[in-house]
Amino acid sequence: MLTFILRRLAIAIPTILIIIVLSFLLMHAAPGGPFSADRKLPPEVLANLEAKYDLDKPLPVQIYNYVKRIVVDFDFGPSFKYKDQTVNDLIASGFPVTLTYGFWSFVVATLIGVGLGIVAALKHNSWLDYLATGTAILGSVLPNFVMAPLLVLLFTVYLQWLPGGGWEGGQWQYIIMPVIALATSYLASIARITRSSMLEVLNSNFIRTARAKGLPSRTVILRHALKPALLPVLTSLGLSFVGMVTGSVVIDQYFSTGGIGQHFVNAALNRDYSVIMGVTILVGSLTILFNLLVEILYAWIDPRIRY
Amino acid sequence: MVVDKQKIRKLADNLAESEVRGRSLWADARHRFLRNRAAMTGLVVLTLVVLFSIAGPWISPWNYEDIDWDVLEDVATLGRPSLENGHYFGTDDLGRDLYSRVIQGTQISLMVGLIGSLIAVVVGTLYGAIAGYLGGRIDGFMMRLVDILLAIPGMFVLILLMVMFGRSIVMIFIGIGLLSWLDMSRIIRGQTLSLKQKEFIEAAVATGVRPLTIVTRHIVPNVLGIVVVYATLLVPGMIMAESFISFLGLGVQEPQTSWGALINEGTKTLQHGMEWQLLFPLGFFVVTLLSFYFIGDGLRDALDPKDR
Repeated sequence: MLTFILRRLAIAIPTILIIIVLSFLLMHAAPGGPFSADRKLPPEVLANLEAKYDLDKPLPVQIYNYVKRIVVDFDFGPSFKYKDQTVNDLIASGFPVTLTYGFWSFVVATLIGVGLGIVAALKHNSWLDYLATGTAILGSVLPNFVMAPLLVLLFTVYLQWLPGGGWEGGQWQYIIMPVIALATSYLASIARITRSSMLEVLNSNFIRTARAKGLPSRTVILRHALKPALLPVLTSLGLSFVGMVTGSVVIDQYFSTGGIGQHFVNAALNRDYSVIMGVTILVGSLTILFNLLVEILYAWIDPRIRY
Repeated sequence: MVVDKQKIRKLADNLAESEVRGRSLWADARHRFLRNRAAMTGLVVLTLVVLFSIAGPWISPWNYEDIDWDVLEDVATLGRPSLENGHYFGTDDLGRDLYSRVIQGTQISLMVGLIGSLIAVVVGTLYGAIAGYLGGRIDGFMMRLVDILLAIPGMFVLILLMVMFGRSIVMIFIGIGLLSWLDMSRIIRGQTLSLKQKEFIEAAVATGVRPLTIVTRHIVPNVLGIVVVYATLLVPGMIMAESFISFLGLGVQEPQTSWGALINEGTKTLQHGMEWQLLFPLGFFVVTLLSFYFIGDGLRDALDPKDR
């Protein structure tokens, strides 16, 4: 097991490094620098600024310095736009917000999705199955940017139960709509995956054996069917994670929650290189680490996988 | 002995006819697809949407860029959907006819979906087939590259591209095309790996067919079924990606529009009681995507009946 983890890490770490370098090159290739926008600066000032932000050094040196700073000090440098803030500050202010509603959406999507999928599979071809499948199909065409305005229309405009945006330190009224908007489409895909894998497992030989030796239905499902049926779901969680992080861009923009997505869009509009790179690298690394975690969990749970 | 020529001919005809006409895999699949009610409904609805986007402008007195000055003084009441003034879907907050705007958005969203998936299909299939067929180090390198690109959240890259190189339709195509072939190439590589072991590939190699020809002539046609299914399921993904970007205001720019941009505009007038400006584009979005999913599911069931 340990060698397996180490081997995976040996792949993951270079990948993260490559992401850092790639995003650096991508930003470097972009037309228009951070200081080329508003008014023309005197050349001396420009030279000073570029020296301050390392922009006057040759490209490999810039890359080396940048990577070193991130890896060794976990320091993404100063923001190009807001002189008094560092990228770390912005991330520190936005990340807890994103993490809060992201976590709850993840919980909601997984629990309800798995629940719906199992019920649908157990009551195969009953009205419950059709209801669950219908919900799953409908949910898959309701991405966050469709759900968000619909929820606001229902809960804010018509019913006037919930505030239409804001965060206020994460009180529950402000969390509900972001969570539902973000969770719906992933809930749907998790339900679909759970249902089909549960159906497959229920039709397999070892379940028939378990039933044949007279085990009560509940034991058959909980002890024998659930574990193998949930393995494909586990793999799909990695994808949901990425989707939710990406979805935070819409959520933050629409509900003005002030999470990491908002900083990203603002930075993108302002050509704030260091913030863009910082957020991209952070999200990319988190994705890789999360997938690593899923893979390790998978290998740990599934005895058929040899590592 | 007198031979009854007529009888003989009849017998010959019968013989020719009674030779059992084999049903090809594709004919079987078509049969299964035609019997799938959800998929057929999806196909009908999709056809209607496409027809609407082509023929819709003919029955509207309004153009998508004309501003109806008469409704501007009170858009929330005068701009309601009505048959009398020709604004079948109402107007937007600027007094433009929403029906024409939705048609324009439908055209662009559908086009993005189709062209985006086309790029994904061509690039992904070739890349995956080549990697899978060549195998070894090259395969390892090519797939590692895909893994790395997949690890970078695609939407972030798309936003970056739009910001860096200007917000235009062409950039959307390039961006979406760049990102969408990754999954496709993985699927095709897996298929190619198993196809590679088959005898007919061995025969082709033994007769000295060039590797690239083997890929295009023998491997690609054999993965076509999966490609078709996956491409149908890709289209809604592409439309969603484009709408996502346009919803943020980073995609299609005025005077052009798309479903995402229209939904975004619709969200801004909600508190003025102009729900129609949100609900019409949103309805088109949901209904079209649903039909794509049903068609894709139907195709998968039809082409691969084992997999449920």
